[in-house]
Amino acid sequence: MTAADPSAPSTSPRPVDGEGKISLTLHVNGREEHLRARPHHTLLEVLRNELHLTGAREGCGVGMCGACTVLLDGRPISGCLLPAALAEGHELTTIEGLEGPNGELHPIQEAYVEHTGFQCSYCTPGFILTTKALLEERPDVSRDEAKAYLAGNLCRCGSYVKILDSVMDARDRLRGG
Amino acid sequence: MPGSLAFYHPTTLEDAIGLLGEHGDEAKVVAGATALTILMRQRLVAPSALVSLGSIPGLDRIEEVDGSLRIGAMVRHRDVELSQIVRARIPVLAETFGKVANVRVRNAATVGGVLAESDYASDPPAVFVALDAEVEVRGPNGERTIPARDFFVAFYETALEPDEIVTGIVVPVPAAGSGTSYHKFVTRSSEDRPCVGVAALVRLAPDGSAADLRVAVGAAAETPQRFPDYEALGRGHVLSDDIVGRVADAYAGAIDTLDDMRGSAWYRTEMVRVWVRRAIESARDAAASGPAAH
Repeated sequence: MTAADPSAPSTSPRPVDGEGKISLTLHVNGREEHLRARPHHTLLEVLRNELHLTGAREGCGVGMCGACTVLLDGRPISGCLLPAALAEGHELTTIEGLEGPNGELHPIQEAYVEHTGFQCSYCTPGFILTTKALLEERPDVSRDEAKAYLAGNLCRCGSYVKILDSVMDARDRLRGG
Repeated sequence: MPGSLAFYHPTTLEDAIGLLGEHGDEAKVVAGATALTILMRQRLVAPSALVSLGSIPGLDRIEEVDGSLRIGAMVRHRDVELSQIVRARIPVLAETFGKVANVRVRNAATVGGVLAESDYASDPPAVFVALDAEVEVRGPNGERTIPARDFFVAFYETALEPDEIVTGIVVPVPAAGSGTSYHKFVTRSSEDRPCVGVAALVRLAPDGSAADLRVAVGAAAETPQRFPDYEALGRGHVLSDDIVGRVADAYAGAIDTLDDMRGSAWYRTEMVRVWVRRAIESARDAAASGPAAH
């Protein structure tokens, strides 16, 4: 992942202000965001606490549950496992970035609503973003392939059957079916 | 977490190595950050400096060189999993990286990271050891290579000097007539780390006997376990149930298995016996059904 400031000397640390914070520039949902954070803060902490994008949630905190899923250059990653400083120079997408210009739901979101692919919805942003990456990678994905790809997203309500129904419907919607 | 964490983004390996020399044990190299972030959050490590490799060009390539694949340290797990050249030349490597954790971790975790971390319960190390891979490292005195077999020293401990950095790994393409396998046995969930992972390579001679047999067991002890003396029990023989069973029993007897939440030491020993047998059988069958041996 790339550094923020190409003019900074290769062997100097990132400058820290009086509060022990560094300056960060992140590209989130098509916007350039400037913010300050502690050097060890994770992308998840920065998204929630500095940018107030609270769709990504902390679940397990160790990369196993998928509640904090964020797309980095279109690929799902765990926001809880990435220092925010390493997210610079990449295109980030959170669930807030999926809606259309007038607040329309994304076709994947519509499919999840139609099939009630959730109960409490804590895991839902992560599932929807992972579904987006999956369908961009494999537009003709089978139900079994989707099951394997989504195995790292946990739904403690156990809505898996309806989630998979939603994914298959989203596939058909995006294929223009 | 510590308030004073110096974050470095060196743009050359020389600068990164210099920073490690300057900060000593206080510095940690960061690549995909998946393991390091957990260790920092759990306060198991508290570095005062992080040295990111992400701005150093050239570390993210996969290339074929003299009958081997050279995989750069910053190549992500998922890139190994999906790489056309890896799938064509060393399919077991692509399969193994595809079995690690979940897609999010595989999109971030790097090849150099899984080597340098030396976590006993990672999948790739056993495969690298079975394939006689060599780790490329760079330090203040230049480059050297370390056989994967000697690279993993103990729990979270490698043969790296404090100011050396893993730059890549060279994995020989198995000879014609070879079959390979990696069996990951999990006891809790599909995205769990292995309780036991076994990598095997079998090369069949034209008469059907095993010209080569290699077996490495991961996650059962502090480091990947490989025993040339017990591999020799199978070499030169047709890999019958009896012969395969003898190798599996020898491995089960030789490994000082560990206890953790994925299985007790006794259970692991029995699972080593089962999965060494299955891994050899899979590699043998793959060798028999693959392109003909010459």
